[in-house]
Amino acid sequence: MDGLPILSLIVFTPVVGVLALIFVPGGAHRLIRWIALGAALVSLALSLVLLGYSTNGAEFQFREDLPWISAFGMRYTLGVDGISAVLVLLTTLLSAVAIFYSWIPIRMRVKEYYAAMLLLMTGMLGVFVALDLFLFYVFWEISLFPMYMIIGIWGGPRRVYATVKFVIYTLVGSLLMLVAILAVAIAHASAGNDFTFSYEVLRGYAYADSLQALAFIAFFLAFAVKVPMWPLHTWLPDAHVEAPTAGSIILAGVMLKLGGYGFLRFSLPLLPDAAVSFAPIIIGLALIAIIYGALVAMVQPDMKKLVAYSSVSHMGFVMLGAFVLNEQGLQGAVFQMISHGITTGALFLLVGVVYEQTHDRQIAHMGGLNARMPRFAAIFGLFTFASIGLPGLSGFVGEFLVILGAFRHNGWVAAIAMLVVIASAVYMLWMFQRVFFTVPSDWMRLWWPSLRDLDRAEWIALAPLIVLVVALGVYPGPVLEMIAAPVDRIIDAVNGAGMTGLGPLW
Amino acid sequence: MDYVNDLVAVLPELVLTGLVLTIITIDLFMPRRAKWMLTPITVIGLLIAGCALVVVWGMNRDVYAGFYVVDDLSVFIKGATIVTGILSTLFAPGYLSVRRIPLGEFNTILVAALIGMFVLASSSDLITLFLGLELMTMPAYMLTGLHKTDRYSNEGGLKYFLLGSFASAIVLFGISWTFGLTGTTNIGEIAASVSGQMSGGLLVAMAFLTVGATFKIAAVPFHYWTPDAYQGAPTPIAGFLSVGPKIGAFALLIRVFAEAFGPLRADWLGVFLVLTVLTMTVGNVVALIQVNVKRMLAYSSIAHTGYIMAGLAAFANADDQRVAQQGIQSVLFYLFGYALMNIAAFAVVAMLQRDTRRFGGLNSFAGLASRAPGRAAAMGILLLSLTGIPPTVGFFAKLYVLLASVEAGLGWLAVIIVLNAALAAFYYLRVIVYMYMRDAEDDPAPLERSASGSIALVVAVVAVVVFGIFPGAILGLIEVSAASLF
Repeated sequence: MDGLPILSLIVFTPVVGVLALIFVPGGAHRLIRWIALGAALVSLALSLVLLGYSTNGAEFQFREDLPWISAFGMRYTLGVDGISAVLVLLTTLLSAVAIFYSWIPIRMRVKEYYAAMLLLMTGMLGVFVALDLFLFYVFWEISLFPMYMIIGIWGGPRRVYATVKFVIYTLVGSLLMLVAILAVAIAHASAGNDFTFSYEVLRGYAYADSLQALAFIAFFLAFAVKVPMWPLHTWLPDAHVEAPTAGSIILAGVMLKLGGYGFLRFSLPLLPDAAVSFAPIIIGLALIAIIYGALVAMVQPDMKKLVAYSSVSHMGFVMLGAFVLNEQGLQGAVFQMISHGITTGALFLLVGVVYEQTHDRQIAHMGGLNARMPRFAAIFGLFTFASIGLPGLSGFVGEFLVILGAFRHNGWVAAIAMLVVIASAVYMLWMFQRVFFTVPSDWMRLWWPSLRDLDRAEWIALAPLIVLVVALGVYPGPVLEMIAAPVDRIIDAVNGAGMTGLGPLW
Repeated sequence: MDYVNDLVAVLPELVLTGLVLTIITIDLFMPRRAKWMLTPITVIGLLIAGCALVVVWGMNRDVYAGFYVVDDLSVFIKGATIVTGILSTLFAPGYLSVRRIPLGEFNTILVAALIGMFVLASSSDLITLFLGLELMTMPAYMLTGLHKTDRYSNEGGLKYFLLGSFASAIVLFGISWTFGLTGTTNIGEIAASVSGQMSGGLLVAMAFLTVGATFKIAAVPFHYWTPDAYQGAPTPIAGFLSVGPKIGAFALLIRVFAEAFGPLRADWLGVFLVLTVLTMTVGNVVALIQVNVKRMLAYSSIAHTGYIMAGLAAFANADDQRVAQQGIQSVLFYLFGYALMNIAAFAVVAMLQRDTRRFGGLNSFAGLASRAPGRAAAMGILLLSLTGIPPTVGFFAKLYVLLASVEAGLGWLAVIIVLNAALAAFYYLRVIVYMYMRDAEDDPAPLERSASGSIALVVAVVAVVVFGIFPGAILGLIEVSAASLF
């Protein structure tokens, strides 16, 4: 560690914002918004330093390492490799966008709202940069409760039900993961090593098969709920439908990635034998999620719910790519996470634009919007195509790589996944058509005179996402370069791994 | 010379005794409008006792011919009880004054109960142990029934008294069996004589002691007095009762089961495991359906008892001394953290009962976040801590118990604990839902805002967060104090 502790600054700048908010009177909405946005933008600016990540340098760069709770060997260790670096950038960008976009929709309990958003940002960033398993867990839990508040206070009519469901699902998974973390650390220590939670130390150790299997299941439950994988996905549509727009952007854009990141960072390198042995099951679940998400998305009457279910399908691609365990698949998985974050974040934002004006999201209540909001329709179309995976836009790269990886693994798996890409075109385009091109519904005619196209604030919020979705689609090279080395390390870790047999429990 | 050293060793107890007498005397001659002075006087007295504890820390000696021991374990437990005492003293006045419950009596009885816990923690002989137990629980009965004009308080006090004296008798019976079989009441000598000598008689003795002791910590199935006693007791006192006597009773469990019957731990482990699992599960399941926050906290305190007992089970199942010590340490840390968060949580309930007809229903929490943002935020943090969410002391306490269990080879117990913790999240979060996600009732409960209560709340919440992020300071103390057992 030399020079500025840049990662700590990125992670804790939002907390500084929260502390500043405490001293601002609750009625000073303008000041509160500026402080929150300022903190998020500073964090975003600082995170741009991570672009200087050198692709052929050390595995973890910008490291920081301080003793924390020495009695248990817990350390404050931060560091990023290529995968974390791009996810940190995604998080800071989407958080800034979400905070910026909250200016108009959030009018109630403004101070608490921004405090929750900033805390959420800290928790998520911490998850991506923590290299100590215990520290990772702490950040993981910290990211949970602000979202609970955001959905529960500023959400739709059934918000309390949705938010409690969200928390209980996530908490069960994460608490089991805590036990698994302890079990792994203790197994490592009881072999005569130092008691430590350091990721870099623990991952090199060959754990007993039975421990690996159980720990893998526990980690799986924690991460799979977040991704979410079928059949643990049922909290997601509820949470999305009730969450405020900014909450949905963060939820779909970043929170789901916490799960995917957990699989890549922890499940695979830490427990390689179990990961390889369980891979067929997870590939199966991922395929179900891909198909199921797409089929259910087709019949959704609500725009937000449709995008939510499409997330289930798209995150299924991430899981598929992660567990086919080859270079293309893993690179595709990471790329798909980034692309899905940008695309879905933008789609939720766009749905929010309609909702702010009409207070409705029912597809049947829309229609003909192209006539009144042509620019909005164009941008919506852009992200619709990105979501489908049209070449030239970011969605294509990720899906293509995942399918390539799947094909190397098993032709049938790739064939099924390929078919679903067609299905995704069906539901996305069908929604696009019904919202923008058919005859306006009676309901929409009521709002007709007051409809307006994108305003300046919305353009500012969307601009970085538009640039990125095109840039990453046309020129994905830099991102793929950044994630290439970490992906190779994961493959090295799982190469030749596999369990010989399951021992008795404990 | 020994005599003088003995006196120094019991200095904290002497300070507390002096404090009791001082409060009684001052209370007699103090004009009514100056009665509030009793609170600062008591707090200062308790702080002096705390300083006396610092003096005897590290002394580690037998006092009074082996009837009493001042080891670091006892000093740590005493320190935790001093913290509960100070917090309770600060939280109580606002609630008591509205109901015209005399402050002087409350402070006197509270400090007397603390003396009982001190004796209990320091006893190295079963006679002293029983003495301490009675000295602790007698004031506890009185505190429960302190609100003389309230019939729930009377009922709670009476129930607690009847069942509590019954349990004390059972403990006493167990002690006499032990004495009959081993010929001694000294804890160290009992340990030496029972080592490897399991017999039917000892089984009976241990059975009686288990029943009596688990009654005192309110473990299932001996918990039935708890909800009524806590609900009937004046709310800040319920907070104290859910923590103080629990610390004392766990001191008893450590002295009797970890120390005297330590050599037989493989024999009592099975029963403790069953009780542990039952206690946390039943406590949580029943807490789930409560609509009164006070009662919910009462049941949840039963669940917490279960988590703490898991630490004791880890001690009993451990292969080597380091792991066994880890188990005891987790018990001590949990008791400390639990003391901070639970007393404060009860205090927030009390603050919502300024109107004496309020009973602490969930509804009185509705919309608290907009009426009293500070208090709502404090309660929110306390509830998260009780749930076990980082970065709070409650999280670290739970983590420590989990760590001890996994290390002792009780991984399945750790899984049961976390499933229970997730269950508990459901009812703790419900209060947050009411505070933050519902609108206030038409005629919301007026809030009590006493200065001492606000200070104590801030102190407790800050401590909950700080010790959650930096538990290191306490961990060092705990390690030293648990080491004195081995």
